[in-house]
Amino acid sequence: MEDLLNILKTVELFRDLSVEQLEQIGKISKKEIYAKGDTICKQGETGDAMYVISSGQVEINVRDNRGNSYSALYLGEGQLVGEMALVDEGTRSASVIGVEDQTVVYNIPNDKFTALCVADTAIGYIMMRNIAQDLSFKLRHRDFDPSDT
Amino acid sequence: MIYKVSYVVQSGEYPGSIKNETEEPKVGDHVMVGPVECEVIEIHQIMPPRGDFLFLHATVVPTEKLATPEE
Repeated sequence: MEDLLNILKTVELFRDLSVEQLEQIGKISKKEIYAKGDTICKQGETGDAMYVISSGQVEINVRDNRGNSYSALYLGEGQLVGEMALVDEGTRSASVIGVEDQTVVYNIPNDKFTALCVADTAIGYIMMRNIAQDLSFKLRHRDFDPSDT
Repeated sequence: MIYKVSYVVQSGEYPGSIKNETEEPKVGDHVMVGPVECEVIEIHQIMPPRGDFLFLHATVVPTEKLATPEE
């Protein structure tokens, strides 16, 4: 648990949570290890968990209406993925694929996370605010036009 | 301090990356954006710091492009 707490402290999603609150998050998190090319979650599927990347990188891969796949973004350590399904209860908007061997993520099941937020509304407020700020950062990243550089 | 960095590849030829760094990135640093090695050519802050987190944007160029500049 000590190792996990040290990791959680470096993740913006958990910013402003106390050690006791982080421990509650740790109790519902499950460590998963993926190899290069492994699919962590698949576009179109029901999203039942979000993931915190502990080490390595993942590719956000989108398949368009014509069936063509492309890499939209890479996410590395400390980043959150799969949170949109938690917020809007929709299906996965992209597939998430391991880029490196030994890509370590923490799986946080949506049902347990939601139950925790309901039971402790302080955690719920902080986490939902941090998720919104993370989505804002991703939008700013996407809106930056590299052709201007 | 934790540096949350948005890496955008100049020209948009490759997708960018977002990741946390424990050391402040600097112009000239080499980073892996997915499977592509890139060099940082520009950095600026995109949001005010919050807690221990600083939010940066970095423009990068694939090192292969630097090795063979277009004429």
